[in-house]
Amino acid sequence: MARQAHAYHMVDPSPWPLTGAVAALLMTSGLAVWFHFNSTVLMTMGLTLLLLTMYQWWRDIIREGTFQGHHTPPVQKGLRYGMILFITSEVFFFLGFFWAFYHASLAPTPELGGCWPPTGIITLDPFEVPLLNTAVLLASGVTVTWAHHSIMERERKQTIQALALTILLGFYFTALQAMEYYEAPFTIADGVYGSTFFVATGFHGLHVIIGSTFLAVCLLRQIQYHFTSEHHFGFEAAAWYWHFVDVVWLFLYVSIYWWGS
Amino acid sequence: MATQFLIRTSYKAVRLAAANHLSRTPVRVMSTAKGIPTNEEQATGLELRALLAQKKGKDPYSIFRPKEYAGTSEDPHIVPSIGDKRLVGCLCEEDNTAIVWFWLHEGNPERCPSCGSHYKLIHQELPH
Repeated sequence: MARQAHAYHMVDPSPWPLTGAVAALLMTSGLAVWFHFNSTVLMTMGLTLLLLTMYQWWRDIIREGTFQGHHTPPVQKGLRYGMILFITSEVFFFLGFFWAFYHASLAPTPELGGCWPPTGIITLDPFEVPLLNTAVLLASGVTVTWAHHSIMERERKQTIQALALTILLGFYFTALQAMEYYEAPFTIADGVYGSTFFVATGFHGLHVIIGSTFLAVCLLRQIQYHFTSEHHFGFEAAAWYWHFVDVVWLFLYVSIYWWGS
Repeated sequence: MATQFLIRTSYKAVRLAAANHLSRTPVRVMSTAKGIPTNEEQATGLELRALLAQKKGKDPYSIFRPKEYAGTSEDPHIVPSIGDKRLVGCLCEEDNTAIVWFWLHEGNPERCPSCGSHYKLIHQELPH
């Protein structure tokens, strides 16, 4: 059988990039249809196709790497670059919302009463639930590092425990934040304060959910023996993403919750 | 359908974890006692072939930088190849930005058309 003389992965043809693109089309046009014609059918179809695409594409990557051995060190290096570039793009995404917050809060307009927080806004006490949330995420950063060291030291039981604990802490954060959202004395419609608060913390919460899901997939894979002590990039990528989510929260906490209160 | 797979995988994983799989896992190699395999135990396909070759000091997939040679007729640059010719790119001097490309054929060592360094094609076999 003719074999390649290089260490790179020439991927087999795959339908998932096409289905992903179709999903993007259906979701965007579906959004417009929802706004103008009061029908969510197109958007729901797009969302379903997106979830199916993600599931099958990443399942195929796991098959190619773990079961077929295509992820040689140079291939892994490329995946590392990819994850770093992706996280960098997400940093810029959040930078935009921080820009909006600081634009509005450093020079508050007369409509707000010329002050920040704006007149009439009852802010959340930064030393109550938000501080607990900070502790929860910081602790989850410790547990995910514990899990990583456990993998490298070949400790299966500890890896599973540490990873499960990290995910539980992630869920705890999400639950606490959901409760805060429900109990907050202001809404997204409350001027620029509400907009900046809920869009920034809302997108952060979405990223916590994404990160928790990524870690959960890693837990399932770890239980099924996918990772070796030297090769476990899927886990490392999830851990990087989780640390990124943690850092974004720290900036949110200091800027919006603390300085902005 | 995807949900079924996800549920099935989660169910299987939870069963595995709940059954404390570690206690029932036969110890494959003495060092798997703690439960996570090494790459040597579990790698497969191209990754395994590259790993095993590297242990023997070989680099059939050109992952690492080529060895340094003097480039003289007594010590020509050794160019491994799976065929009877291979493209060579010569950086005649360090920091040159123009690479001199030429085909190197099997047989007698050939020289770079620009700087005259000697290159010799050596057959290599890919690991199966």
